[in-house]
Amino acid sequence: MHEASEPVRRLGAAALLWRSAAAVVFLLLLSAGTLRGTDDGWPFAPMSQYAFAVDLDGEVRSPYVQGTGTDGVVRRVPLTAGGVGVERSEVEGQLPRFVRDPSLLEALAAAHAARHPERVRFASLELRQRVSDLAGGRVVRVRDDLLASWTVPDPRQPLGCCGGGAP
Amino acid sequence: MSGGVAGAAAGAWRRWWAPAVPAGRVALLRAVLYPFVVLDVLVLTDDPLAHGDVPVQLYRPLALRRLLHLPAPSPGYVRVLLVVLLVSAVVAACGRLPRLAGAVCAAAYLDWLSNAYSYTKVDHDHAALVVALLVLPTVGAVRVRPGTGRGAGRGARSPDEAAGWALRCVQVAVVCTYFLAGCAKVRFGGWDWAGGAVLTWAFSRRRTALTDALAAVPPVLVALQWLVLVAELLSPVMLWLRGRALAAAVLFWLAFHLGTYLTLRIHFLPTVVCLLAFAPLERLVPPVRPRGRRAGTGRRALPAQEPAARGGR
Repeated sequence: MHEASEPVRRLGAAALLWRSAAAVVFLLLLSAGTLRGTDDGWPFAPMSQYAFAVDLDGEVRSPYVQGTGTDGVVRRVPLTAGGVGVERSEVEGQLPRFVRDPSLLEALAAAHAARHPERVRFASLELRQRVSDLAGGRVVRVRDDLLASWTVPDPRQPLGCCGGGAP
Repeated sequence: MSGGVAGAAAGAWRRWWAPAVPAGRVALLRAVLYPFVVLDVLVLTDDPLAHGDVPVQLYRPLALRRLLHLPAPSPGYVRVLLVVLLVSAVVAACGRLPRLAGAVCAAAYLDWLSNAYSYTKVDHDHAALVVALLVLPTVGAVRVRPGTGRGAGRGARSPDEAAGWALRCVQVAVVCTYFLAGCAKVRFGGWDWAGGAVLTWAFSRRRTALTDALAAVPPVLVALQWLVLVAELLSPVMLWLRGRALAAAVLFWLAFHLGTYLTLRIHFLPTVVCLLAFAPLERLVPPVRPRGRRAGTGRRALPAQEPAARGGR
C-alpha cells in the first residue's frame, strides 16, 4: 500500500550515458559562451547583464529619440513595446547602425504609425544621447548630444506604411 | 583493482548527476513552471508579440534563428506561436502528455525567446527555465499526489533517478546563471568591476526615491557590488549544501532578486521560480487516504512515508 516500499527506478546504462553527455556538453557550451562567446550565440551567450565596468570618473550615456510631428510639435518617440515595438535597450544595442545609416530612424516612425494610426506622424527624427559626467561616482554634469537625424520623405507613409489617411 | 576504482567513480557520478529523488518533485515543478511560462509570455516577456509588427530593418536574428532558418517575426507568425505555446504549456501544466506537450512547449519557447533577443538586447535571466523546459519532458508521467490516488504515472514518493537528473540539471543551470554572471563581470568589467560605478550608471538611468537615496552614498554602492560579485562566484557551493544551509543560500538569492527588483526593476523571476528545484516540493502535498477508511485513521500513514521523502536532497 505504501509507496515508500516502491523500488528505486534506476536509469539504464544507455539512459544515464546520453543524459550525462547532454549535461556535460550543455555545461561546456554555456561556460564557453560566457568566457569566449557573444550575444549572437544565445542560448550560449555571455551572462553579461550589468557586466561592464563604469569608471567612477567616467560618463553614463542614455540615448533617446525625439521627433517633430507633421504639426511642428517636438515629441519624445516612446521606445517601448507599446510605443514602437522595440525598447530603448534594443535601439541602444544597434546604436552604431543608426549612426551609420540614419534612414533606419524611419523604421521607428513606421512602427509608431502602424501602432498608433490616430496620432500625429513624425516628419523628422533625431537620435540623441544624454551624457552624465561622473566624479567619484556622483553625477556632476549632464550634456545632450545629437547622434543622427533623418527627415521622412513622405511623413504620411513612412516606409510606405499604413495608408495615407492619417494626420 | 582499477575496475573497482572505475566502478566507484561511475557510482559517484550516477549518485551526483542522477540521485534517486521522489518523482513527485518533478510533478510539482511542472505544476509551477508551465503556468509560469503562460505568465511569462503574456506579461513578463511579451515583446515577441510586439516584434511581430516591427519593420524588418530592425531585426538582427541570432545564430540559432539563422541556423534553423526561422523567418523574421510577422504579426501572423507570432500569434500562431503564442497559441502553440499557451496550449502546450496548459496541457503540460495539467500533467497530460508530459513528453509531447513538454517538448512542443520547449521548442516554442526557444522560438519565442530567440525572437525576444533578436533585436540586439539579450538577457540571461531565462537560462535555467530554458534548461528546465528541455529536461522536464524526459521524466515522463508522474503523479502529483502520493498514496493510492488514481491516474497514470509514477507515484509521487517513488525514488526515481530520471527525476533526479532533471532536477540536478535545473539546479546546475541556476548556479550557472549566478556563477557565469560573476565570470562575465570579470571578463567584461575586469576585477575592478566591483569597485566601479555600475550601480551609479543604472540608478542614474532609472531614478526612484530609493535609488536616489542609495546613489548619494557611493561607498554603499561599491560594497553592494562586491557582495554581488563574491556571492555569484561562490554560488557553486550551493550544489553541495543541504538542509538549513541550502535554505539559507536560497533565501539569500531571493533577497538579492527582491533588491534588484526594488532598485533596478529587474525581477529575474524566470530564475527565481527555478530555485524551487532545490526544495523538497513533494512534501507540500499530503498523501491521499486509501478509499473506504475513516478520516481518523489516515494520519498514521504519514510518518511511514518520510524515509522515501528523504531519499533526495
